[in-house]
Amino acid sequence: MYSKDMMNLLKEIMAVDFVLYELGLFLDTHPNERRALEDHNNFAKKSHQLKTAYEEKYGPLHINSISGFPYQYINDPWPWEIQYLGRESDVVL
Amino acid sequence: MSVPEDIGKEKGLFAAYKLAEAYIPIQIYGETFDPKAALIHGTLFPELYRPYPVRPKV
Amino acid sequence: MWYYEKKLQYPANVSRTDLGMAKFLYAQYGGPDSELSAAVRYLTQRYTMPIPQAKAVLTDIGTEELAHWEIIGTLIYKLTDGATPEQMRRAGVGNYYAQHDKALYPADAAGVPWTAAYIQSTGDPIADLHEDMAAEQKARTAYEHLINLTDDPCVIAALSFLREREVVHFQRFGETLMLVREYLDKKHVY
Repeated sequence: MYSKDMMNLLKEIMAVDFVLYELGLFLDTHPNERRALEDHNNFAKKSHQLKTAYEEKYGPLHINSISGFPYQYINDPWPWEIQYLGRESDVVL
Repeated sequence: MSVPEDIGKEKGLFAAYKLAEAYIPIQIYGETFDPKAALIHGTLFPELYRPYPVRPKV
Repeated sequence: MWYYEKKLQYPANVSRTDLGMAKFLYAQYGGPDSELSAAVRYLTQRYTMPIPQAKAVLTDIGTEELAHWEIIGTLIYKLTDGATPEQMRRAGVGNYYAQHDKALYPADAAGVPWTAAYIQSTGDPIADLHEDMAAEQKARTAYEHLINLTDDPCVIAALSFLREREVVHFQRFGETLMLVREYLDKKHVY
């Protein structure tokens, strides 16, 4: 249903997007913090690159992403169905 | 009710604060976790990380 | 507007089926201080916020709360996966099965349906932001209670993530309170 490679890439996207969101939320109350904005923009680029790579291999993450035929956005697994496997020593990631 | 003597000295520290208002310090941008560590900790910012001690279960 | 992104904010796992824990987690799915309450509260209050920073914070945290609602839903779904009606009855959730089978429903841990009475929207940004900060503290302590109720390391990891988010949100709402008060003070001077 899904491979270890897919899982690793998805988890990398989760981590990068989490940082991107934390920086965005910080900037909401600190719009003049230049260093945070630079970091935010760098992570925005990184996120875009990772998602492009993911979608090419494993299908759309968004309803408005380009899809192969037949329409692949609907494909299982949906996020709540995934067993997010990790290393034995690390139950999380 | 008695008032400790040094409370007057401390007053200077709070001179900028008004009674009956809540205050929170504004965060300054400093060190950050790397992405994977940020997701594990639940925040990008080490100074905002307040872990809850998990008690051993019976 | 919103688009769905086909991923969780945090990779929520469970180690095993645990019907009792699934029931407790309903506190944060449809209870007073649940992620659902948080999302509706912030996304409702944002319209009458007076400064851009406040509109942004309420919009972004409100949106994140929906992602947390999805994480709680995922944990409940996984904790009940594969359970039979007999197992549900033995675990004391036969009443839930009778009405909902294993479908998710926005109610609290005692089965009380979610209601908008859990939130307020006063039109006074100072009052609303104080409610928001209090809500984050109530949710933080709810997560501590839930962590105390399980020994599943996967569930504890996900709940610890969600608990830490309450701490971060408290800081951002606090900063927003300071900014809004500064704005209102200046406005009253001129």
